[in-house]
Amino acid sequence: MTFFAPFTLPFIIGAAVMAAVLVAKYTLWTIHLPAEDKRLIRRNMFSAKSLAAVWEVVRESLLHVRIWRVNPMLGYMHSSLALGWFLLIAIGWIETVAYLGWGWVPLQGHVFFKYFMPVNGIAEHKAGFEFAMDLMLTVVLSGVALAWIKRMRSRLMGMRRTTRHVAFDRIALSALWFVFPLRYVAESITCAIYGGGSFLTGTTGKLLGEHLDSATLDALSEPAWWLYSIALGVFFVAMPFSRYMHIFTEIPLIFLRRYKLAPSVEEKSYDNFEVEACSRCGICIDPCQLQADLGIDDVQSVYFLRDRRYNMLKLATANNCLMCGRCQTQCPVGINLNTLRLNSRAKLRNIPNEGRYGYLAGLDRSTGEGRTGYFAGCMTTLTPRTLAAMNAIFEAAGDDVWRADSDGGVCCGRPLMLSGETAAARKMIDYNTGLFRRHGITRLVTSCPICLKVFREQYDLDGIEVLHHSEYICRMIESGRLHVDRSDELYTYHDPCELGRGCDIYDEPRRAIEAVGRLAEPEHNRRNSLCCGASLANTVIDDKQQRRIAQRMAAELEATGAGTIVTACPLCHKSIERVADCGTMDLAEVVAKNILRDKR
Amino acid sequence: MKRRVVIVGGGAAGMATALGLESRGVEPVIVERDTEMGGKVRNWHKLFPTFTPASEILDPLRRSIAERNIECRTGVAVETVASDGVTLAGGERMAADAVVMATGFTLFDARRKQEYGYGIYDNVVTSADLEQMMNSGRVRLADGSMPRRIAILHCVGSRDEKVCQSHCSKVCCITGVKQAIELKKMFPEADVFNFYMDIRMFGPGYEELYREAQQSYNIHFVRGRISEASPMINGRIQIKAEDTLTGRPLKMSIDMLVLMVGMRANDDNGLLAASASLDVAPNGFMQSRDPFTGAVRSPREGIFYAGAVTAPKSLADTLAEAALAADAVVDYLNRTQR
Repeated sequence: MTFFAPFTLPFIIGAAVMAAVLVAKYTLWTIHLPAEDKRLIRRNMFSAKSLAAVWEVVRESLLHVRIWRVNPMLGYMHSSLALGWFLLIAIGWIETVAYLGWGWVPLQGHVFFKYFMPVNGIAEHKAGFEFAMDLMLTVVLSGVALAWIKRMRSRLMGMRRTTRHVAFDRIALSALWFVFPLRYVAESITCAIYGGGSFLTGTTGKLLGEHLDSATLDALSEPAWWLYSIALGVFFVAMPFSRYMHIFTEIPLIFLRRYKLAPSVEEKSYDNFEVEACSRCGICIDPCQLQADLGIDDVQSVYFLRDRRYNMLKLATANNCLMCGRCQTQCPVGINLNTLRLNSRAKLRNIPNEGRYGYLAGLDRSTGEGRTGYFAGCMTTLTPRTLAAMNAIFEAAGDDVWRADSDGGVCCGRPLMLSGETAAARKMIDYNTGLFRRHGITRLVTSCPICLKVFREQYDLDGIEVLHHSEYICRMIESGRLHVDRSDELYTYHDPCELGRGCDIYDEPRRAIEAVGRLAEPEHNRRNSLCCGASLANTVIDDKQQRRIAQRMAAELEATGAGTIVTACPLCHKSIERVADCGTMDLAEVVAKNILRDKR
Repeated sequence: MKRRVVIVGGGAAGMATALGLESRGVEPVIVERDTEMGGKVRNWHKLFPTFTPASEILDPLRRSIAERNIECRTGVAVETVASDGVTLAGGERMAADAVVMATGFTLFDARRKQEYGYGIYDNVVTSADLEQMMNSGRVRLADGSMPRRIAILHCVGSRDEKVCQSHCSKVCCITGVKQAIELKKMFPEADVFNFYMDIRMFGPGYEELYREAQQSYNIHFVRGRISEASPMINGRIQIKAEDTLTGRPLKMSIDMLVLMVGMRANDDNGLLAASASLDVAPNGFMQSRDPFTGAVRSPREGIFYAGAVTAPKSLADTLAEAALAADAVVDYLNRTQR
């Protein structure tokens, strides 16, 4: 049997084009990986990491476990389409093998098996296969139905907003919507003529057989299979250029991530895997406060990645983001959205200016010493109550502290980093690193989470423990070096983005607050906490817009009934202070206020 | 029967309006939240641009109010206003034929600009604090010594979106010049710096005073806001600023920092406006009917404005507006004669 019919041509051509494009893309991306990334792949390829990756592929590419966690309806939609389609192919293949043995059967022979062998000689297992195939088709069709509903009424699927798509996406999406209904129609007509099929195609086939004469059925059969094949072919051709590229790309991405590849402050070939693994599901749209509070609807991660992928990214889009990371915690593919946005900014913006940093030489007038260096951060010097509180805490804890940024320190570099000025940031980083080393500190405490993040991620501070003041204070209290008085006062705590999602510090500030009073949690907290709106990362929105974001988030904090809003970031502090009716304090102030001096 | 007008607020605007009405045969009643009449001017030392003692303006006003037996209810706040009277805190209703709102303004709380250290470290004072110090006759640093270098910072809580005050408070520029001269007269050896964004010398004699400050008193003017002030070990204050004319950042250690705090809208403007369906401008001050012929009229018949309740104003402007308000009220009462 040749397994050839003219109607299979669209399918064959489509599949061949798709395969060629996929192979070309993945090969090019891999060839262009930096040497370090290639080394990582070679080192980790033959290790348990590959097995872990296989398991993750099953969980994420087939079952879509992470989407289930975010939104069960969307989870079902994705699983039914991915797993259902996969099983249709897998069971179809087993069926072919069962009937024809281990011989070579061309691809279209598997896909259009029903057409080529509507009636086969082997009766045993037939009902079982027919049932399994019908069941899977039903599952996939239910997924398609949900996809339709999501397009028409996204709210029914638990999404306030869904993605606006580009032309390739629309073509692929329309083709995909029709693939399975057309398959259902074609198989049902074949069942009507030859019999067979199970509860879905069999029953429909019987119905068709009762109402249409055999000549009509014969006339309908061929066109139906043609349409099914065309839908598949169109989808396959559009697929590598559309959002559906994610179907395959997530697989190499999972492997590479397991091999410890990650995006960095500069664009590199690995980024392609992340960018094209975005399914444009739009889950990142709803958590975005620019969307929710300001109605800005064309800058979210899904649109950023889309624009970057199609080379139409504008700096204004890349810059219009708070980088609060709320979307990243929800992304079902786990794309490093913030890092990708940063390196896009760097690419669009980074113009090193060597002459500008001559002043760094001869800047160091620092004196004094101490094993602990305290880098207040420039925002902390604008909130001197925090500074005074930290001085009181250091004194009460009996720590001798060298002030790292009062005489000779420069900016931590993070604001430059955030605006894409990577080379300039590197100057600050190198300068400060040298300064810290010269003073021989073993511990670096900062009151600013923005500084903390860059110290931890971009500085090479081996041998120096980097702490946020919340961690330091918590440790001093719990180790008995700082004695505090616990009152009945009710506080609420705002998780700063850079501290919480940025550095994964959620518990220490809470433990410190609970050491001096009671704590009430706002509606959105920890990983889901809202951004204060004043983020340095966004250079596009204006002051009024920042304030509107702050008002929304401060309202949630005030709704807790707490007398004081506590935060642990000087920028959040300023942002909340100007819109909140109740008092705003830094964590250090709250603790310093309650220090018991006589205990020491 | 004499027609009765309730005036909310017993500061310069309220008192001057009351006198204007009384002289035209209307019976004014002043309701003042404070226990004493006089408003903000009471705490002022001397007035720009003539260095006239504030008491020379305020005392005659208060004296006339007493001499003409104008009824003053002090120590009681007004909760709602309407064209036919007001409700006092506690529920008492005061009927009237018209109401004038002369509730003035609130001084910007300098603690909201934490970076200047007001209320956190010594020797950071506001322009209002300085007037009180001058009233008390003793301007000294916290340790009792005399300042050798003083910085005056303009626009604290004015034209500053970061603290939600985008309007200009109008009087601080000239107040800064006036206080700089007063400080220089007190401490001839001291260096006095004014840090400003713009110098807005709009009134008669203002520009001349500004020139005199530079030419006769050698007061320095630096264009650029101070970004932060921090305490130094020796008790002085270190300020960081940018001289935007030369484009250079500068650091300076000073003994005293004077913050020119702005005029902001009263917090209860919103509530009062809501009680009478009046409008509040985006900057929080009450909205006049129009800025030309309707400056002292509210959008509601029978409710009038006088003074800084509608916008930051100098004392001269406030007194002129009080006379205008009295005129407008009498005109209204004549039109609506029962």
